Amino acid sequence: MKKDPPIPPPLAQRFLRWFLREDLAEEVQGDLEEQFDVMLESSSPFRAKLNYWYQVFHYLRPFAIRNFKSTYTNPTIMFRHNFIISFRNFKRNTSSFFINLIGLSTALACALLIFLWVNDELHVDNFHEKEANLYQVLSNQKTEEGIDTWPTTPVFLGEALSAEMPEVELATSTSNLMDNFTISFGDNHFKSSAWFADINFFKVFSYHLLQGDPHQVIADKSSMVISENMAKKLFQTPENAVGKTVEWQVYTIKKQATVSGVYQDLPANASQKFDFVLSYETYKDILGDGTHWGNFNAITYLVLQEGTDLQQFNEKIEHFITTKRADSDAPIFLQKYSDRYLYNHFENGMQSGGRVEYVRLFSVIAIFILIIACINFMNLSTAKATCRMKEVGVKKAIGARRGSLIFQFMEESVVMAFLALGIAILLVALFLPQFNTITGKQLSLQMNTNFVFPFLGIALFAGLLAGSYPAFYLSRFNPVTVLKGKLNSSFSALLVRKGLVIFQFTLSIVLIVSVMVVYEQIKLIQTKNLGYNRENIIYFSIDGKVSEDPETFLSAIKKIPGVANASSMRGSMLGDFGATFGYFDWEGKDPDAIYQFFHLGVNYEMLQLLGIEMEEGRYFSREYGGDTAKIILNEAAIEAMGLKDPVGKTFNLWGNNMEIIGVTKNFNFESLHENVKPFFFRLLPKDAEKVLVKIVPGRERETIEKLQDFYATFNPGYTFDYQFLDDEYQALYAAEQRVSSLSRYFAGITILISCLGLFGLAAFTAQRRLKEIGIRKILGSTEAGIVYLLTSDFTKMVGIAILIALPVSYVLSRHWLQGFAYRIDLAWWYFAGAGLAALLIAWFTVGLQTVKASRVNPSQCLKDE
Amino acid sequence: MKETRLGDFEEVILLLVGILGEEAYAFKLAEEFESQTGRSISIGAVHSTLSRLEDKGFLKSAMGKATAERGGRRKRIYTITAYGQRALVASRDFKLSLWQQYPAFATDKLNFGGQI
Repeated sequence: MKKDPPIPPPLAQRFLRWFLREDLAEEVQGDLEEQFDVMLESSSPFRAKLNYWYQVFHYLRPFAIRNFKSTYTNPTIMFRHNFIISFRNFKRNTSSFFINLIGLSTALACALLIFLWVNDELHVDNFHEKEANLYQVLSNQKTEEGIDTWPTTPVFLGEALSAEMPEVELATSTSNLMDNFTISFGDNHFKSSAWFADINFFKVFSYHLLQGDPHQVIADKSSMVISENMAKKLFQTPENAVGKTVEWQVYTIKKQATVSGVYQDLPANASQKFDFVLSYETYKDILGDGTHWGNFNAITYLVLQEGTDLQQFNEKIEHFITTKRADSDAPIFLQKYSDRYLYNHFENGMQSGGRVEYVRLFSVIAIFILIIACINFMNLSTAKATCRMKEVGVKKAIGARRGSLIFQFMEESVVMAFLALGIAILLVALFLPQFNTITGKQLSLQMNTNFVFPFLGIALFAGLLAGSYPAFYLSRFNPVTVLKGKLNSSFSALLVRKGLVIFQFTLSIVLIVSVMVVYEQIKLIQTKNLGYNRENIIYFSIDGKVSEDPETFLSAIKKIPGVANASSMRGSMLGDFGATFGYFDWEGKDPDAIYQFFHLGVNYEMLQLLGIEMEEGRYFSREYGGDTAKIILNEAAIEAMGLKDPVGKTFNLWGNNMEIIGVTKNFNFESLHENVKPFFFRLLPKDAEKVLVKIVPGRERETIEKLQDFYATFNPGYTFDYQFLDDEYQALYAAEQRVSSLSRYFAGITILISCLGLFGLAAFTAQRRLKEIGIRKILGSTEAGIVYLLTSDFTKMVGIAILIALPVSYVLSRHWLQGFAYRIDLAWWYFAGAGLAALLIAWFTVGLQTVKASRVNPSQCLKDE
Repeated sequence: MKETRLGDFEEVILLLVGILGEEAYAFKLAEEFESQTGRSISIGAVHSTLSRLEDKGFLKSAMGKATAERGGRRKRIYTITAYGQRALVASRDFKLSLWQQYPAFATDKLNFGGQI
């Protein structure tokens, strides 16, 4: 059998064909093959093949290599060309250019604002040097209603963990951060926030000390560390402050301390803002008998050794408190300190979101808004493809590769995005103050690398996203058919366009529904009868002379005209009240059940002032005397205790027998996220911290002025620093308020951008079908018929969007409302209303164009062809 | 303005093109170069010189007829232009005139090893 003659190595041939200039291929391949054949005659096939390779490689010479860079031969010229084409195109289609520009710049502005906000939220508390290993100890308390998670721990926990657990590198304990301190030097008194902290405080946290040694600055019982700002207010300079003795007061406690250090003012991203720090030993003294393992009144922070497994460590310390005190069962666990701001919500002892949900929500909204604006760009560019098809055809015919066309269209959209970015930055600068008011932040537009690169990145992302589909779609045209004047507007392209419009409107409708639901829910909260009256009530804390003689002060202000009533209390109706587990008893109490009671200490007449109504029994009253040993419970408490005819019965609180003298109707003392819980009032006129004054409606301003004057004479040196109870109540819902107003703006913007896109599409369709409309009119079609013809397509799209959006928005709103104990019912008309609104907006947008188109004079549009 | 000087290697290739006449294409030229000089050379090197000479105007080329060999592919046949002829003559005359000025006695001293 005759063997096939050897042939030149195929790979070498392919390689040669790949790099060799087209016009040289024939002669060179011929020459090499001839050489190969000649070689075969004199030597082995292997040598011949080797020589073939050798010859191929020797063709790697500039003259023979094909021009791979044909499209990049002159990048600057090409860029310039593309720019010119882009700008000509913008100029030719001014309407769609402006639609795109407005849409993209608004969307980018929203995205940038949200970026600034999210960036700020994510950086809260991350400035501590030991941040990576810094944790806070949380404790879970079991109650009848479930598990409550508290930041408070026993006073000794930090010390004990640090001593017994090798994983703990450092521990520090503080009291709660309290904002009702007063600091006084001479005649200067300042309201301030402060806490007690142990010696490790400045080692664990990176609060930079301007004066003093972080290792021992609060070691001494009578020492304190103040903020730079406070030092300037009291002593002009931080250097002046050291060694000075000041007086501080909280509740009824008044002591002196010597400034041993000054810390730099806290960065804006510190979540805990305090004006001074006092010694932890002092705190223990104040607590006195309360310092035991069953009392949770300290906050513990730990720095763990590098590489400690958090989960293992959590399991190890879970029942640590029980090992110290058998009857105290509060499992403890650690949360990363920098997470405590964003992940601040716990449910049944488990982490369940918190502020981070809003961060996620708004990030998603930002992306959606960007996508919607990009969809406008895609739709308008692909719809206008007919105008570009000749350009694409000619370019392809004279040798443009698809890649370079894609590049050209991408460049066009990126140019558009950067134009939009310029406008967006102006918009951000313009609206940042308002945005700050809504979000309660101090964001600023700084042009440093932390912002410039993300900004450019966001714009580039938007540009590429917007350009992606048009670039691939437009560059796909077949030059032959396109230059013949035919554009088979393919079914799939039409489908994509419709799909994108449907997507836009789905998002818009979801947002409309959400805005309505949030708005109604907020309205419900703000107008709901809480069971007490919070209107026309101002409050201020008791300091200085007032604390020495509160009764005189109260009876004096009651005489001021315009004051309806005045009384005092400890804590506040809104969140700052005591909570107690166990240590109480009554007849028929289930010995195993754990009850949680909230409580407030009030003065005479406080309940009347607040308008809390009695279900049975009486209020505290001076007429009876001895009311300090009496107690008033709420309905929820009676229900939880299972007491029948409670008035007159005995309630043993912390070992003291108290007589129940009354039962109040239920009132909402927490935010409406929570159900009404068991509650009791004690009469504690001496321990009051706050004065509440009820003012006759309509006379607020004059009355407050009179109060101010009186306060200045009664308590010189102190400022009359009052607040309305209603304002404080509103602050409970600050997060919801923010979401409500922000979502309103963002929904408006989304709808605006979607409509812009629809407007552009409708205008284009009407223009393209102008001849068809002319012919239809000649054949007898009415204007209404034309409008119907042009609108029905868009109506269908919006209809489908409604069908998709309503179930989605239903699920989303239900999920959000789940977080409230008192919530609105999801009425059908929210959904019907949103759908109808979307439809009407779409009709209006499209109608502007179609009505104009339907009125066209056929002789005008048909005269030239 | 194109470089029009004739290099040494270029001169040899130009001469070979003249020698081979109808058979002057890249492979044959390379083969002839090897057999005449004993130095090996790749076809690519010859080809690149040919195309350079063509650019300079010393050579012109045309595709030959299809042949049964080499897969039926045509050859590119090079021929010397009049300008190329003049360049060759000028180069030869220049060297001859140099040789004529060269003193006879010095011929003995010519040392091709360059050990002077």
